[in-house]
Amino acid sequence: MREVAWRIFAGEYSEASHIIHGKEEKAPKYVITPMGAKVNRLFVVGVLTDVENIGKEGIRWRARIADPTGIHNVYAEPFNPEVASLLADMEAPSYVAVAGKVRIYEPEEGSVYLSMRAEEVKSVDAFLRDYWIVQAARNLKMRIDAMKEAKSMSTPSIRQLRELGYPLKVAEGVLEAMRYYKDIDIEHYEFLLREALSYISIEKKESSKEVKEAEEKLLAIIKELQGEEGAEWDAVIEQAAKQGIERSIAEEAIANLMEDGIIYEPELGKLKMV
Amino acid sequence: MEFEEAVEEILSSVDAEREEIEKKLKEFLDYGVPIEQAKNALIRKYGGGAREKKIKDIKPGDRNVITSAKILTIDEREVEVRGKTRKIYRGLLGDETGIIPFTAWKDFGLQKGDVVKIKGCSASEWQGQPRLSLSEWTIVEKVEYDIELIKMPPKRLNLIDVRANISNVEVRGKITSIERREVDVGGEKKTVYSGIMEDETARIRFTAWKDFELKEGDAIRIKGAYVRSWRGSPQIIFDENAEVEKIDEKIEYTPYTIPLYKVVERGGGLDLLIEGVILEVRRDSGIIFRCPHCNRRIKEGVCDEHGQVDGVPDLRIRALVDDGTGAVDVIFNRELTEKLLEKSMDDYLKMAEDAMDYGIVYADIVDKLLMHPVRVYGDSIQSDFIISIIAKDGEKIKPDVKKDAEELMIEIGG
Ligand SMILES: [Zn+2]
Repeated sequence: MREVAWRIFAGEYSEASHIIHGKEEKAPKYVITPMGAKVNRLFVVGVLTDVENIGKEGIRWRARIADPTGIHNVYAEPFNPEVASLLADMEAPSYVAVAGKVRIYEPEEGSVYLSMRAEEVKSVDAFLRDYWIVQAARNLKMRIDAMKEAKSMSTPSIRQLRELGYPLKVAEGVLEAMRYYKDIDIEHYEFLLREALSYISIEKKESSKEVKEAEEKLLAIIKELQGEEGAEWDAVIEQAAKQGIERSIAEEAIANLMEDGIIYEPELGKLKMV
Repeated sequence: MEFEEAVEEILSSVDAEREEIEKKLKEFLDYGVPIEQAKNALIRKYGGGAREKKIKDIKPGDRNVITSAKILTIDEREVEVRGKTRKIYRGLLGDETGIIPFTAWKDFGLQKGDVVKIKGCSASEWQGQPRLSLSEWTIVEKVEYDIELIKMPPKRLNLIDVRANISNVEVRGKITSIERREVDVGGEKKTVYSGIMEDETARIRFTAWKDFELKEGDAIRIKGAYVRSWRGSPQIIFDENAEVEKIDEKIEYTPYTIPLYKVVERGGGLDLLIEGVILEVRRDSGIIFRCPHCNRRIKEGVCDEHGQVDGVPDLRIRALVDDGTGAVDVIFNRELTEKLLEKSMDDYLKMAEDAMDYGIVYADIVDKLLMHPVRVYGDSIQSDFIISIIAKDGEKIKPDVKKDAEELMIEIGG
């Protein structure tokens, strides 16, 4: 059967370290996340923050896509040149949707690097990003509920979880996660869920065209000044002024970039791209 | 222990001729083996201590089981084992104590209704339940006597929760449609009544193996039905062992959005309403050409059946719809495609002619629909690797995500 494309927050996916290899040769591999998603395919919508060419021949691309909880690393592989060229032509920052497969790199026993291999890519709008956040949040909530149920059972089983109405894949994933991850911090993921949702419920005021144009320039300034530690807030404002951007406009643009998850404050008074 | 006593005990545990047991036991005693040991050795020799088991006593891990049972259902299917295709037979069998699913790895010539004695089968665990496995070495003998089947309280289910290969269920519903058919069962003609029934949760196909004098619009309760897969979807079956009563209830199915995992796990269904995002537009979407004689899709002007023909253009979309819990393929016909894309087939034909490339139609579909949430209403059809839904209606949707987010926030108490 066709594998479902999980909507999963970067903040959870990047914490996963358990891989299940099927017994048969061509059996799919699954990433088991701490909250019990059993992932072979993914669907991610977020803000494209940068695209970079990492192939010698210029055919392998890596993109970073920010959701409210973290960063998804997305690769376009040489055997899929169509997707690679679509990704290469995209502007950052912009909203992008990607469907694809888990990409697992296990250089040695016990260390796992997870990313995603793109199969379909498209530029989308803010609506789809918000729609995605709600779907990812619902899915996470379902798994949190399933895990709490399972923890309350004397001998948790797939059958009992299914009888409560949970999907087979969720029941399997939750039990596998409970076996593998010790001391799962459910509260951490409830916090993550709340954070992600509050992202949408806050009514955003429409920014002027002037601010929108300033965002791009400020991003370039921050990128230039940030180094390892981040760019000094004052230095950024100063540089913006030199380019003819008023302080109030620059501050609003910085606030927007932070709200969109494109930049953050590594420490007070400093700005850095995610 | 007396000789006769030992013989009786052996015969009560194994299936063998008295004469043979007496002869063998005497042989053991002549060699000076104590009678107790000789008795145990013979029990092992004739079936490893196997005693005939009732169905309810069969546990996963049991080997070399002897049991008598009636075949309730049997289905033939092909499976791939180490690159080779072989036929297996699956179904349900039962006695007065219980019902169990079975898999037969060879053709024992079994038919629904047969009463058989099975020797040397084993039980494994499948989805938490025991399942009997009849191997190459299992002996199956048809017997003359009948078995009165268990009368357990049936499991009450909504039609949406009905799954293939469960038995003894109780469902209620309204007969949406019904027709009489003649079928051939092992060379014998039988009359069956099949159609569609519905409750508040789903519509489902059914087949009655007896004339219960049902007609369209009747509300009924069926106790002791069983479920099997028909073209990939579950179907309710009931026969003379079932209890069917008419009820005075108003029952109606109003389509509601079903999460895709339910559609996938139950194997499709009828009149399904689903929502999801189009994550892939299949390559065979767009303008296609059909044979004017048989309506089959043709390639480069050639029909497999009718050779070189003047193809008739058609417009359709086959797209992967995924809601994060499951994935299905959806097929939109010309009318629905035109509605979704807000463009007629003639417009697309002209566009393709101007560009001298039909690929431009595919590109427009991707542009308009890829990564777009949609709502689809339709029936599933059987296919191998994915459930396909033939859309009867479809539309792009834009849910109020702010409201959804606020509701979810309240649910988690944020
Ligand atoms: Zn033809």
